[in-house]
Amino acid sequence: MDDVKPPARETMSPSRLAQFEAEVTKMRVSGGGANPERTAARVGIGLTVLGFVVAFISWWSAYNAGTFEDIHRAAIFALIGVGMALVGAIIWLRNSLTRYLRYWIIRLVYEQREQTDRLLERRDNGH
Amino acid sequence: MMTNPAFAARTPVLELVAVHAGYGRIDVLHGVDLALHAGEVYALLGPNGAGKSTTLGVASGQIVPSSGGLMLCGRDVTGAAPDALARAGVCVVPEGRGIFPNLTVAENLRMATFTGMRYPDVSARAFTQFPRLRDRRRQMAGTLSGGEQQMLAMARALATDPAVLLVDELSMGLAPIVVDELYDHVRQIAAAGLSILIVEQFVHEILGIADVAGIMLHGRIEHTGSTTELADGLASAYLGGKH
Repeated sequence: MDDVKPPARETMSPSRLAQFEAEVTKMRVSGGGANPERTAARVGIGLTVLGFVVAFISWWSAYNAGTFEDIHRAAIFALIGVGMALVGAIIWLRNSLTRYLRYWIIRLVYEQREQTDRLLERRDNGH
Repeated sequence: MMTNPAFAARTPVLELVAVHAGYGRIDVLHGVDLALHAGEVYALLGPNGAGKSTTLGVASGQIVPSSGGLMLCGRDVTGAAPDALARAGVCVVPEGRGIFPNLTVAENLRMATFTGMRYPDVSARAFTQFPRLRDRRRQMAGTLSGGEQQMLAMARALATDPAVLLVDELSMGLAPIVVDELYDHVRQIAAAGLSILIVEQFVHEILGIADVAGIMLHGRIEHTGSTTELADGLASAYLGGKH
């Protein structure tokens, strides 16, 4: 193979490089995981299940309670459990929807491309 | 923030450090190390399925590595959102046609105003570099020829004044004469000092453009050197022979 070398060229202008460095420095990095929506959806399911367990245990405690004070305490824990289940369900729903909508929009783009290709093919073939 | 020239000279503008990444449970990259310095053109070569596009996905923030890191100017930005990276100046020219086929050329270019640039500036820059697009500005992008669609994708990326340009298989599905024309544009862009990471299957496309080349096989960069050094051994590397 011939010895083909790249031509001599300028380096990136110092001002552009400085601007890039500044942009990178102020960039917010979440340190997100490899699949944040899937992880969050799992956390949501876990929280929902945990919430129901807390609510069930609270109901069981209230059922076997000897005093009104214990029943009130169990009722508060039951409310916390129901709240956890509700928050977990919202987290699961939000992240599942995000995953589904992302898949849907990608599919839409690909279908549009295929449609355009078919139209062009018919036009080029004189149909 | 002041740029220290010595720092700029030795710290890569973009670096992948021991990156493992993939799709779901399937790992595609198994420890990729790559460094792109300011003003450098790095060609990432390899056969289909080697992990080149996945590497570009990690570099652009579209794929978050399961381990390892993405560094920009020495700062660990692993997990940064792809739009944040794009706003900072890391722009991608995606494989195939990275355009909106049902929008006009002008509307596609308008998409590049996300960085805050005004549309007249974006279009002026795009039409100066690719005059052919000016005549087609009211045409649906999907009805352009393959080469013109690639030009549009490049024009949209360049219009945002990127600091790092990531180019994924520019030659895919295009006639050799069109590929030559596109790479002439890349040569001009590289001459202006932009840092470019090009993914390609075949070395002859980027001969005379790239300063450094890496051969990627089975999710790892197996060989690094100048394009001429690697060109002769590329075929045997693809076929599984010793380089």
